[in-house]
Amino acid sequence: MSGHRIAAITRRLLQGFRRDRRTLALLFVAPLVILGLLGYMLRNSATPAVGVVNEDSGPLGAVVASALDGSTKITTTNIAASDGDAKLKDGSIVAYIVFPSDFTQGAQGGVIAPQVHLEGSQPNAAAQALQALQSALATSASNRPGAVRVQPEVTYLYGGPNLDTLDYFGAAAIGLIVFFLVFVVTIVSFLNERSQGTLERLMASPLRRGEIVIGYMIGFTVLALVQSVEVLLFALYVLNVHNAGNVFLIFGIEALMAITAVNLGIFLSMFARTEFQAVQFIPLVIVPQFLLSGILFPVSSEPTWLQYLSNVLPLTYAVNALRDVMVKGADLTWSSLQLDVGVVAAFVLLFIVAGTATLRRRVG
Amino acid sequence: MSEQVAVEVDSVTKEFGVIKALNGVTLRVRRGEIYGLLGPNGAGKTTLIRSIVGLIAPNSGTVTVLGRKLPNLDVLREVGYMTQQAALYPGLSVEENVSFFAAIYGVEGGVKDALEFVDLYTRRGSVVATLSGGMRQRCSLACALVHRPRLLLLDEPTVGVDPQLRVELWEQFRRMAADGTTIIVSSHVMDEAERCQRLGLIQYGRLLAEGSPSEVRSQAGTQNLEEAFLKLAGEKKES
Ligand SMILES: Nc1ncnc2c1ncn2[C@@H]1O[C@H](COP(=O)(O)OP(=O)(O)OP(=O)(O)O)[C@@H](O)[C@H]1O
Ligand SMILES: [Mg+2]
Repeated sequence: MSGHRIAAITRRLLQGFRRDRRTLALLFVAPLVILGLLGYMLRNSATPAVGVVNEDSGPLGAVVASALDGSTKITTTNIAASDGDAKLKDGSIVAYIVFPSDFTQGAQGGVIAPQVHLEGSQPNAAAQALQALQSALATSASNRPGAVRVQPEVTYLYGGPNLDTLDYFGAAAIGLIVFFLVFVVTIVSFLNERSQGTLERLMASPLRRGEIVIGYMIGFTVLALVQSVEVLLFALYVLNVHNAGNVFLIFGIEALMAITAVNLGIFLSMFARTEFQAVQFIPLVIVPQFLLSGILFPVSSEPTWLQYLSNVLPLTYAVNALRDVMVKGADLTWSSLQLDVGVVAAFVLLFIVAGTATLRRRVG
Repeated sequence: MSEQVAVEVDSVTKEFGVIKALNGVTLRVRRGEIYGLLGPNGAGKTTLIRSIVGLIAPNSGTVTVLGRKLPNLDVLREVGYMTQQAALYPGLSVEENVSFFAAIYGVEGGVKDALEFVDLYTRRGSVVATLSGGMRQRCSLACALVHRPRLLLLDEPTVGVDPQLRVELWEQFRRMAADGTTIIVSSHVMDEAERCQRLGLIQYGRLLAEGSPSEVRSQAGTQNLEEAFLKLAGEKKES
C-alpha cells in the first residue's frame, strides 16, 4: 500500500468533479429537492374531505358529527344523502358517513351502526376517514351507559374490502416500471450514438432530424411493447392484481407511457454529454415525477402549489388513467379517462417536437 | 460557378470560444481531384472537413458543395464522410454496419464492393468490437464510400492501416478520382501527400500554401515535402 498512490487516485477523482459542475450540483441539490418534496407532501398534505349526512332522529348523530368536525384527520362537510355518490365519483370527497334516523335508537339498544360509504380507490384516505370516525364515536359514546358495539356498515363505490395495497399500487406500478426502464435504455443508447461518433456520421448524411427521432422511437417502442405485455400479464395472472377494466385499454395506456418515456429520453439525452450525466436525470427528473405523480400520495392531498406541479407532469395523468381503469373499471366513455389519455398523448407529441428541435446539426 | 469546381470554400471562419479553428480559409477543389490537407495537430483540418459536410456552421464565409450552397441536405446524398475516429456501431457486424449506412443513403447494392475495396469481405460477419484498430478504420472507410459518393471526405483515413493495404487503398483512390470522384483527404503522412494532385497546407486555421506537391516544394525551395512543410510552417510562426 502506498499513501501517495492512493492520494493520487483520490485527488484525480476530486479534480474531475471540480470541472463537472453539474455532477456537483446534483450531489448537493438533488437531495434537497427530493427530501423537500417528500417533506412538504407528508407534512402539509391536505386532509381528506369527508361528507357527513345526519338523518338521526335522536341527538347522538349530531354529537358524533360535531366530534368528526373537530377531527384533525379529516375535513368534513355536511351533504345530502342523495348527493353522496355523485360527490364520491367526481372526487370531491373520499367518503361520506350517514347517521341513519334510528342511529340514537340503535345505540340505546347497544349497537352503534353508522353507514360509511367509501370511494374505495384510495386506501390511505379511507383509513384516515375510518380512524376519525372511530375516535369520534369513542369520545361521544364514552358518556353513555351500558355496553355498546360499534358496527359500521361499510360500502364501496369501487373495488371492495378485498382490495389490498398491491391492488392499489400495482395498477400504477405496471406503468411506472415500463416508463422508468424504457427511459433509461433510451437515454443511454442515444448517448452512445453521440459518444461513439455515429451521430456525427448520421448528421453528415441526408437523414433528417425527425427521421432519426422517429426511427429511434419506433425501435424502442417495439421493445417497450413486448415489455409492457410481459409486465401486464405477470401483474394480472401471477400477482393477481385486481383489475376491473379492459386489459387492452391498460395495455394501450402502458404503450402510451412507453412512447412518452422514449421521447423524453431522446429529448433529455441532448442535455447530457456522457452516460454519467444521463443517469443523473433519474434523481432529477424521474424521482420528483414519481413522488408528484400521485402514486404514493393522492395529488388532491398535496399542498396547492405542488398540485400545480403535479398537474403539468405526464406521469400524473398516466398513473391516474391506469388506476381509473384497473380499480374503477373506467372505459373510454369516461371523460376523466379521455382527459388523462389525451394529455399523455399530447406530451408524446410535445417530446417528439422538442427532441427533434434540440437534435442540433452541431455535434460534440 | 464552373462545373469543374466540386468544393468552394470562401473566407470561412469558425471560432470555438477564443480559439479560431478556421481563420478566413478560401480554397477550391476541382472535380475528380485528390486534394490533400496537411497541417499539424489542431491546425483546423477536421474543422474544415466538418464545415464542408455541413456539420459546422461557419461564423462567417460560405461553403459551396457540388454547386449547391450549404446548408443543403440534398447534396449530402452525394457526399461520403469518414470521421477521424472510426465511428461505427460496435455491437453490429462489419456487414451490418456497412449495410446500415447504405440504407441511410438509400442504395441497395454496393455493400460487397465496399467490403472488398477495404479487404474486409472475408471478415464481414465479425462484430466490430472484436476487430483490430486498423480493420475498424477500414470498415469505417467502407461505410463512407458504400453509396459511391461524388465527393469523398476522408479525415486521416489510413491511420493504423498497414503499409501494404495503404498502398492498395491509395491506388483505389486514384482510380476513383479518375472516374470523376473528388476526394479531400487529410493526412500527416508525407508519402501520402506526394500522391495528391494538390495540397493545402494549414496552420492556425489559415491556408499557408497551396499547389501540387512539386509546386509546394519549389515554393519552399526544399527537396522534399516534409522539409517544405516544416519550413513554410516555421516561417509563418516567426512572422
Ligand atoms: N467542438 C469544439 N469545441 C472547442 N474547440 C474545438 C472544437 N473542435 C475543434 N476545436 C479546436 O479547434 C482547433 C482545430 O481543431 P481540429 O480538430 O480542426 O484540428 P486538426 O487539424 O484536425 O488536428 P488533428 O491533426 O489533431 O486532427 C483545435 O484547437 C481544437 O481544440
Ligand atoms: Mg483532425
